[in-house]
Amino acid sequence: MEEEKRIGVYVCWCGTNIAKMVDVVDVAKEIGKLPNVVIAKDYKYMCSDPGQELIIKDIKEHNLDRVVVSACSPRIHELTFRKALQNAGLNPYMFEMANIREQVSWVHTDRGEATRKAKSLVAAAVNRITWHESLDKRTVDINPATMIIGGGIAGISAALEIGNSGRKIFLIEKENKLGGHLAGVDLTFPYMYSADQILKPLIKQVTNNPNIEVFLNTQIDEVFGYVGNFETKITPGDGKEVELKFGNVIVASGLKPYDPGGIENYGYGKLPNVITSLEFEQMLKKGKIVTKEGAEPKNVAIIHCVGSRNKDYHEYCSRICCMTALKFSNQLRSALPDTNIFECYADIRSFGKGCEEFYAQTSRKDIMFLMFDQKNDLPRIRKAETMDECDMLIEFNELLSGEDIEVPADMVVLMVALEAQENARDIAHAVGVSMCGNEFYIERHPKLDPVATTTDGVYVVGGCQSPKDIPDSISQARAAAARILATINIGQVEVEVTTAVVNEDICCGCQTCVNVCPYTAISFDEEKGVSVVNEVLCKGCGTCGSTCPTGAIRSRHFTDKQILSQIEGLMSTSIELQEV
Amino acid sequence: MSYEPTIVAFLCNWCSYTGADLAGTSRMKYASNVRIIRVMCSGRVDPTFVLSAFKEGADGVLICGCHPGDCHYHEGNYKCLRRYHLLQKYFQQMGLDKDRLRLEWISASEGRQFAELVDSYTETVKNLGPCKMKQVIETLT
Repeated sequence: MEEEKRIGVYVCWCGTNIAKMVDVVDVAKEIGKLPNVVIAKDYKYMCSDPGQELIIKDIKEHNLDRVVVSACSPRIHELTFRKALQNAGLNPYMFEMANIREQVSWVHTDRGEATRKAKSLVAAAVNRITWHESLDKRTVDINPATMIIGGGIAGISAALEIGNSGRKIFLIEKENKLGGHLAGVDLTFPYMYSADQILKPLIKQVTNNPNIEVFLNTQIDEVFGYVGNFETKITPGDGKEVELKFGNVIVASGLKPYDPGGIENYGYGKLPNVITSLEFEQMLKKGKIVTKEGAEPKNVAIIHCVGSRNKDYHEYCSRICCMTALKFSNQLRSALPDTNIFECYADIRSFGKGCEEFYAQTSRKDIMFLMFDQKNDLPRIRKAETMDECDMLIEFNELLSGEDIEVPADMVVLMVALEAQENARDIAHAVGVSMCGNEFYIERHPKLDPVATTTDGVYVVGGCQSPKDIPDSISQARAAAARILATINIGQVEVEVTTAVVNEDICCGCQTCVNVCPYTAISFDEEKGVSVVNEVLCKGCGTCGSTCPTGAIRSRHFTDKQILSQIEGLMSTSIELQEV
Repeated sequence: MSYEPTIVAFLCNWCSYTGADLAGTSRMKYASNVRIIRVMCSGRVDPTFVLSAFKEGADGVLICGCHPGDCHYHEGNYKCLRRYHLLQKYFQQMGLDKDRLRLEWISASEGRQFAELVDSYTETVKNLGPCKMKQVIETLT
């Protein structure tokens, strides 16, 4: 006889987020009629402390052995509720979530249909959970070393934070020196600190720290292993292969400037005095602002949003260019008091501490601010005639005055966008992080977890995650460092237990699974004539499970039975309800 | 009552399910005919799952995985692609329209694409009419 299951179902209102579009009371009432469901309740906020308390209390009072929560995406709160189950003495895997917020209430407009769909999703979860089984958490020891990819300001900051607390760091840099883009910067906005004075002492600290091992001229090809126990082979500049073992990874691989050659209007590469913001920065660093002809420019124009905020190039805002442009104006005004300075902008974005004030100060320094239409009407730069008494003319419709104007210029500085590194995809594959549409790395959660990634033990910091300024890069780097130090401090980490397992009795020894496993986690036991899964290497993708012709391989927590009964639950209600 | 198809969708956890969540957080609207089942990888989608969805009364099955080269498990989506082509051949032999099964790549940032896919695929399945498989099986048994 089949053993009795005691399921508790909780339908969340999420305030009005779900309740507005789904009749949660009705869902709980209907689901309560299903077999094995002992109680079904609706509640305002399941994830709140009282919500979790409610589950814990019911588990004890009603002797529940399984819990279904129908609320937001499991990607947000599955772990929260698993913990609640654990606190009540239940195995955390005796839990299932039905996503009725992100995949129902927020995307549908008909309350009746949304409620019907919610019911079928919850019914499917109830069906599925009937087949759930207890899984024991597995912990592994953490190798206390950390590998950091990228030796810019983010990588350096993280390395120092961890290195100074006595833990080993392998700092990998692809160039022949540390410092990244900051090494090429003269002064920093908005307080005009010298970049060298910020960066050089930090680099010195890195090179003097015995815990930090720096590898220059080095690239990462492939990283093997899992959280706590990663390893890779690198070939530094001297050509000798080195094997590294580490428990965590910080990706701080930065970004690169956009090449404005693709925007025909600006004539970059054809007009010699059209230069990029990085080239102008180098000029400032050398302390000499001169045109290609060697003369002091009488008119300097700075064009904003070059390659940013325009669908044809990059749709996003590169975040630091507006403030850098204002910094350029300040430095220009100090160096060349009589030069005309034109800031040709789309919108000024002066977010961040001290930045709006910096904008206000700059605007009082006899600088002309001219607005253009970034989306539809980019300025056009052309060579001037001799009688114009300047090198180039920039034509555009000035938005605030509504007039077509020509701006004289002897030097044009293009505030180029910041984009993902050329090798961003290679690094993503090597360490197993995902990329968003514009090739920046995706964090685990955009609000709640902006440093970790969906691969345990791999963190993303600095410009490789999205363009950001120095304080933001450093904050993120140190946050990742703190996270890693916390796991090293505990010494162990819990790893995925939803691995594959072979039922030796029905394995026919065809070895199909051995061939499809991307982690070489399955081997063939010649003596027994069956496949064997190495659970440490298995990451639980389940590809072997769907390949096995005899059903000998079971993907834990995603077993055939669980998914098939989920399908059955999904369809039974949707058909019954349609016929009503 | 006009015919409203039911579509069972298998979405991989890392790209497509996240993309579907993004459609939600961005409050994009799409047809409510789709019912999503989360799997860790599109490579986990056993042909049995697809056939059993039809057996239980689905009118269409949608499988979404990471774009080629972006699979969280390196190559599970390629395994899925191979099964998809085989399944479509099998469908034709069984007298099922091959459009009743669709495989698409949806990344974690493609909420809009997911919403549009659901709408267009719902239209496709609507035009195919109800799938008779469940009825046929019930009559035979």
